Amino acid sequence: MDFKLSEEEEKRRKEFLDGCKELAKEKPEDFIEGIEADFETKNQPYVTRCRKEFAKRGWLRLGWPAEYGGVGSHMDRVFFGEARGYYGLPGVDIFGIEMLAPTLLAMGNKEVKDRYLPGIGNGDTTWCELYSEPNAGSDLAALTATAIRKGDEYVINGQKTWTTNAHNADWGFGLFRTDPQGRKRRNISFLLMDMKTPGITIKPLEYLNRMHMYNEVFYDDVHIPADQIIGEENQGWTVSQALVNFERSNVLAVSAVRRMLETLVEYCNETKVGGKPLAQDSVIRNKLAEMATEIEASRTVAYYIADQQNRNQMAALFESSAAKVFIGDIFERLGALGSDILGSYGQVSASRWARQRGIWESLYQTAFVLTISMGTNEIQKNIIAWYGLNMPRPLSPVSIEKALAAAQAAK
Amino acid sequence: MDSTFTEEQTMLRKSTADFLVEKYPEAKVREIEESDTGHDPEIWRGMAELGWMGLVIPEEYEGMGMTFQDLSIVLEEMGRNIAPGPFFCTVLEGAYPILDAGSEEQKKEFLPKIANGELIFTLALLEADGIYDASGIAVKAVPKGDDFVINGTKLFVEQAINADYMIVVTRTREGASPEDGVTLFIVDAKTPGIHCEVIPTIGMEKLCEVSFKDVAIPKKNILGELDKGWPILSKVMERAAIAKASESLGAMDGIVPMTTDYLKDRVQYDEPLAQFQALQHIMADMFISLTTSKYLVYEAVWMESEGLPCAKEVAMAKAYVNQNYKELSRLMIRLYGANGTHREFKPGLYYRRAKAASIAFGDTGFQRERIARAIGLVS
Ligand SMILES: Cc1cc2nc3c(=O)[nH]c(=O)nc-3n(C[C@H](O)[C@H](O)[C@H](O)COP(=O)(O)OP(=O)(O)OC[C@H]3O[C@@H](n4cnc5c(N)ncnc54)[C@H](O)[C@@H]3O)c2cc1C
Ligand SMILES: Cc1cc2nc3c(=O)[nH]c(=O)nc-3n(C[C@H](O)[C@H](O)[C@H](O)COP(=O)(O)OP(=O)(O)OC[C@H]3O[C@@H](n4cnc5c(N)ncnc54)[C@H](O)[C@@H]3O)c2cc1C
Repeated sequence: MDFKLSEEEEKRRKEFLDGCKELAKEKPEDFIEGIEADFETKNQPYVTRCRKEFAKRGWLRLGWPAEYGGVGSHMDRVFFGEARGYYGLPGVDIFGIEMLAPTLLAMGNKEVKDRYLPGIGNGDTTWCELYSEPNAGSDLAALTATAIRKGDEYVINGQKTWTTNAHNADWGFGLFRTDPQGRKRRNISFLLMDMKTPGITIKPLEYLNRMHMYNEVFYDDVHIPADQIIGEENQGWTVSQALVNFERSNVLAVSAVRRMLETLVEYCNETKVGGKPLAQDSVIRNKLAEMATEIEASRTVAYYIADQQNRNQMAALFESSAAKVFIGDIFERLGALGSDILGSYGQVSASRWARQRGIWESLYQTAFVLTISMGTNEIQKNIIAWYGLNMPRPLSPVSIEKALAAAQAAK
Repeated sequence: MDSTFTEEQTMLRKSTADFLVEKYPEAKVREIEESDTGHDPEIWRGMAELGWMGLVIPEEYEGMGMTFQDLSIVLEEMGRNIAPGPFFCTVLEGAYPILDAGSEEQKKEFLPKIANGELIFTLALLEADGIYDASGIAVKAVPKGDDFVINGTKLFVEQAINADYMIVVTRTREGASPEDGVTLFIVDAKTPGIHCEVIPTIGMEKLCEVSFKDVAIPKKNILGELDKGWPILSKVMERAAIAKASESLGAMDGIVPMTTDYLKDRVQYDEPLAQFQALQHIMADMFISLTTSKYLVYEAVWMESEGLPCAKEVAMAKAYVNQNYKELSRLMIRLYGANGTHREFKPGLYYRRAKAASIAFGDTGFQRERIARAIGLVS
């Protein structure tokens, strides 16, 4: 057990940190901070600036195979995430880079990879994820939007919701029911589509703090070419569950909170209340020390997961569920702690009255991005209990009823 | 970076676990706990044969010359088995201070005997204040001829009743700061004027009151330099804190699977308790606490082992594990139901030890204040 990075790794890590630090200097005054900064309409010019710069350096293709212009290793992805998180830089399209590209690399045929990977890796195309529906959230397999094969096309009808960045994205990937008769998970397909295809309507949904992050997406007889499917028809569930190649350390979120805590420490040192710096308040000292400890714990787990994955992509699955729950909780609690420490100013939105540019009023609201999306904390706990600790899955009242009825019938 | 243990370390863990499982079955742990001495000389000899007390002592002093990281593996397994006895105090509070600060003569005299299991050591540090701070050191050592004469009372001295020697922390001068004027003495526990009495405590580790009445100790028994003992002690306390965290981590790593198994076995409402989601989520929370504790401790252990500055990381690991060991053992009791509250069941053993471990070498409040300073909060 050795936490020391090799000289080469230290060098790479510094390259990412320096690169991001430089780019951060160009951040506009009115940039809206946060891990959701990528989706904010006002931020788009800078988002694009960062994306293009990253593409130029090859940083959107880290760990990819050489034939698709890949550079660097799995650890480079980790270092890059850490650097971006720390400097709060947008420009990495989480859906294209972190989710679709690994899926294509693992499950896509050559034709599909040739068609879509270059756009992702060059920062030319951005993506959104069309999974959730009004009645299919955690229970994603309950989805009902259909894509019915007609000749060389699929015809899509139905609705998706909470689609982050649909308003900025060029393309979308999603799950659709390709055989309305089949069983829950067995008749779903993984499809890609141009978001400008006729029949797609995108309606903004307002997040808690009014930001435009996610959307509703309606499909009214939308025709897409049949070759925009990944994997076999009706095998989309398996495609979407492919975990290979995902970067699961959550290091970006960890370094983002690290940076935020640093700003909070500065604030407490500089701000006097009743003639005394906040930093001298023993309750504040205790709380910040506790938070710093938890953040350091999440950093060490992130590095553990990174190294494990670097050795074997499928390693540390339950540890990464644990890490995700933990960092999500930290976001929520740090938002509460920071805004509490700001006292009356904890309620002020970004404006001339705000302290710390309103980031705590903002985090207090946006923290749920981590605890609800990509598998809620409760769903992660199910995964830990059922697969990590091998506890039996609870019987639902419906299945208990069914079992009783079957026993009765057998008699 | 390498997030795995070496093959040798994995073997060390296994052989340690095998020995402890054989020698410290739960009944034995309880027997030792309830005994007057809290120490089983036969097990002690077995540990000496395996070389544990000399694990980190260099080969030139008849030890095995292994690393602190190796030692932490042994400590984790001891924590998992709740192994009572004078191992921790002998190695962390005796061997290490001598290794750090002893003269060549002292090293030659004591280290081989510690390595061979001939000597039990402990550290007489805390006093009435019960704090790990130089301001708490009031027991005086006053020069008289070739001796110093010690008077006063030390508290919470681990295993003092079994100790052959203790390192006694004394005040030899009222300096400019409390840290100035602290002197350490290697004291033969049989020196006339020393009196030990066991303090009843929750963990039953035989923490003692040790009183000194005109105890004359030769000057040559000073460990390190006169008046300059505090920096030595700081290092010893830092190392002991992370060692305690390793021990606690081992216990936590035992609690999670043990509790899961209990829930799988126990049937209520015609279902194994493990089937109830309310309990599954508590178990998942326990797994998360354990996982996040693990790598925080491993990082601090590694830094300590490599000799890197790690005051902040150690304080964080200790503070975090203090809270999480208590929390995991608390939940373990809850999930065992009434069985958990029974003295004869395992959860209570962990729960009581967790309380003791969280105090030893810095409770959470103490550690968090150190962290607050380390992250740059002005004081
Ligand atoms: C900011 C944000 C961005 C998002 N972006 C996208 C996106 O880009 N694309 C997309 O497709 N979706 C997106 N989502 C949707 C997200 O995937 C869903 O919100 C998530 O899957 C949870 O579903 P739900 O909201 O319907 O909650 P529900 O599934 O209705 O859950 C409600 C509550 O019940 C709990 N719960 C549910 N099932 C169980 C169970 N079996 N055991 C225990 N507890 C359970 C949940 O944890 C939660 O606390 C986004 C959501 C948010 C908040
Ligand atoms: C101090 C003390 C005094 C007592 N005095 C008496 C007395 O005078 N007379 C008497 O008859 N009894 C007494 N009891 C027994 C007490 O009533 C039982 O301990 C209690 O009913 C719980 O049962 P159990 O201990 O078998 O735990 P279990 O039922 O085995 O429960 C173990 C764990 O599983 C949880 N659990 C169980 N079922 C579910 C479920 N369906 N969903 C979610 N979680 C579940 C429990 O909350 C607990 O955390 C006493 C207990 C104690 C601790």
